[in-house]
Amino acid sequence: MKLALFAAASALALSLGSARAETEVVFNFPVAVGGPVTEIIDGYAKAFMAENPGIKVTPVYTGSYQDTIARTLTQIRGNDSPAMAVLLSVDTFTLYDEDVIVALDDLATTDEEKAFLTDFYPAFLANGQVGGKVWSLPFQRSTPVLYWNKAAFAEAGLDPETPPATWEEQVEFAKKLVKKDASGAVTRWGLRIPTSGFPYWLFQGLTTANGVELMNADGNKTNFDDPAVVEALEYLVSLSKEHGVMQEGIIEWGATPQAFFEGESAMMWTTTGNLTNVRNNAPFDFGVAMLPAQKRRGAPTGGGNIFIFNAVDEATQKAAFEFAKFLTSPEMAADWSIKTGYVAVSPAAWETDAMKAYAADFPPATVARDQLEFAVAELSTHENQRVTRVLNDALQAALLGQKEPAAALAEAQAEADRILAAYR
Amino acid sequence: MSGRTPPLEAVAAWALALLWLAPILFAFWAAIHPPEYLTKFDVTAPLTLVNFERAFAAAPFAQYMLNTAILVTGILAAQFVLCTLAAYAFARYEFRGAGVLFSLILVQLMVAPEVLMVENYATIAKLGLVDSLAGVAAPYVASAFGIFLLRQTFRQVPKALEEAAVIEGASTMQVLLRVYVPLAKPVYVAYGLVSVSFHWNNFLWPLVVTSSETTRPVTVGLQVFASVDQGVDWAVISAAALATSAPLLIGFLLFQRAFVQSFMRAGIR
Repeated sequence: MKLALFAAASALALSLGSARAETEVVFNFPVAVGGPVTEIIDGYAKAFMAENPGIKVTPVYTGSYQDTIARTLTQIRGNDSPAMAVLLSVDTFTLYDEDVIVALDDLATTDEEKAFLTDFYPAFLANGQVGGKVWSLPFQRSTPVLYWNKAAFAEAGLDPETPPATWEEQVEFAKKLVKKDASGAVTRWGLRIPTSGFPYWLFQGLTTANGVELMNADGNKTNFDDPAVVEALEYLVSLSKEHGVMQEGIIEWGATPQAFFEGESAMMWTTTGNLTNVRNNAPFDFGVAMLPAQKRRGAPTGGGNIFIFNAVDEATQKAAFEFAKFLTSPEMAADWSIKTGYVAVSPAAWETDAMKAYAADFPPATVARDQLEFAVAELSTHENQRVTRVLNDALQAALLGQKEPAAALAEAQAEADRILAAYR
Repeated sequence: MSGRTPPLEAVAAWALALLWLAPILFAFWAAIHPPEYLTKFDVTAPLTLVNFERAFAAAPFAQYMLNTAILVTGILAAQFVLCTLAAYAFARYEFRGAGVLFSLILVQLMVAPEVLMVENYATIAKLGLVDSLAGVAAPYVASAFGIFLLRQTFRQVPKALEEAAVIEGASTMQVLLRVYVPLAKPVYVAYGLVSVSFHWNNFLWPLVVTSSETTRPVTVGLQVFASVDQGVDWAVISAAALATSAPLLIGFLLFQRAFVQSFMRAGIR
C-alpha cells in the first residue's frame, strides 16, 4: 500500500512537472491555505493570466511571515526557487545581504516602468530601498493608529468626538477614563499599548513623535541611546508606573482587540490592519485617530512587500515583475485595500472611484492615509532579526522594571553597534 | 499497589495534573461558548457549536485530517519495515564495517532534523517529490531511533530461541517474524506512539515541502488562524485545536493501559 502511495505521488509530481509550457511564476504568499484572503489572491492571479497569456501564476500559501521566509530561503538553497514572494518589508536588508533578490530598477526597462517604481508613498518605499535602488514593492502595508471607545469617553465626561492629540492629552484623558471598583481594583484602563512580541514597532510611534529615527537609511547604525529615544521609553514606562492608566508589565498584542471590545481599555494602539475586525466586533461606537504628537506627529509603517528572486531565469523574473506591477497598480491596490483593510500603497490608488466611494462610506479608513505624511520607515537594519531583538529585550526589561530606561537603551545600543560594525 | 498513596504525594500529583490540564480545560471552555464568555466564568453561559463551524469553514480540515492520517500511518508502516530489517542485521549478523555503520546511524540521532532541512529539500526536489506526501515522509522513514531501539531489543532475545527455530526448519525471515518481532511487541507499541505523535505534530518540514490542499497536514492547516495583524480569535483557535488533537487524545485514552504497560516493559522512561 505504501509503495502504491509512493508511486502514485511521484507519478503526479512528474505529470505536474512536464505540464509547464509557459513561463511559470511561483508566488509564495504569507497566509495559510483556505480563508478569504486566498480567494482574493487567486482571483487576482486569474485576472492577470487572462490579460497575459503565456504567463502562469501559481500562488502558494505559506503561513506566517516567519514561515514564509524560512520556506522561501530553503527553496532557494534547495535549487527550487520561487519567482516571487511577499515578505516583511523590513527583511529587505537581510535578503539583500543573502544576495537572493533582484533590484527592480534593473527589471524596469521603459521610462514608464521606472516612473512606476516611485509612484508609491515615500514612507512605504523607504523600507524597500538599499543603496539607491528599489528592491521590493509595497503591497500589504499598514501603520499603527489610535482607536478610542466613544461610549467610554462620554461616560468619563470627555467629548466623544475628540481623541487626544498630544502625549499630555493622552495621559490626561486616560486618567479620566480609568474606572475602579469598590475594592480599588481597576475595571477599565485608560490606554493599552501592547508590548509583547515586537514592542519596537509601536515604540516607534513614540520615538518618531519625539522627533528621532531609530536607524539611518543605510541600515548600519541605530540611535537607541539618543536622549529623545530614552524620553520616549520613560513616557511609555510612566503610563503604568507613574500615572496608573495602563496595565503593568508586558501587554499581549494578540489579545488587545478583544480587551478593547470588552471595555477593559478605553483606548488602544494597534495596526490599521485591525480596522475591519474592530468595525465588525466592537459593540459600541468607536473612533480612529492618528497617534498623538509630542514634538511632531509620527508613526512607523509596517507590513509586507513583494520581492523577486535572482535564482530564476530572466524571463521568469520579467514575468514576475509584470505580475508585481499588476498587483500594485492603482486599481488593484484600491481593491486590495478595500477587501483587507491594509492601506492602499500609492496616492493614485486613492484617486480611483472605488477608493473614493469607500473612503466616503467609511471615513476612518482615511486616517491611516493621512498619517502617512508623518510616517517613517519601520526599524530595519542589516542583521535585522538580531538588532530588533536587542531593542525588544531592552524595552521589555524597562517595562518590567528590571532596568532603568536609559541604562537598558545604552546597553542595547552597544550591542547593536557590535552587531552592525561589520556593515560600516 | 497496596496501601494508600501518601497524602503529600497525592496532593502534588493532583496539583501537577491540574496545572497540565488547565490549558486544555480553558480551550474546552472557550470552544463551546460564545466569544463574550471567553474571560468570564459563568456556569449558565449558553453553549454553542458555532466556533467549530467557523473553524471548519475557515479551511478544508477534513482533507487535512485525511492527509495527516495517511502520512502518519504511511511513515509508521515504512519505519516498521525498514527499522526491523536494519535492526535485525545489526543485532545478529557480523559483517565488515558493522561498527562504523552503526555509529553513523547513532550520529543521526544527535543531529536535529531542522539542520538538514535545506539538504533534504534539495534531495526531495531532485526526486521530484516536492508537494507530495511521499516527500514529507521520505526523510523520516529510515529512523535512527527506531533502528537503535529495536537493535537493543533484538539483542536481548536469547540466542537459544533462534537456534530452536532454525532446528525446526525456519528460514531467516521466519525467525525474524515468528521469534523476534512477537517478543519485541511492547517496543513496537511504544515506538509507534512516539512516531505517530511526533509526525502528527510536525510542522516546519511539512510546511516547507508542501504547497497544496491535497498534501498539507493538519498542523499546517491550523496556520490559517495565526494572522497576528488581526488579533487572535481564541474561541475559534480553541475549537480548531481541540478538533485536530481529538483523534490522538481519544486514541490514547482508549489504549491507555496498553501504552503504559508497553512503556514499562520496553524500559523507556
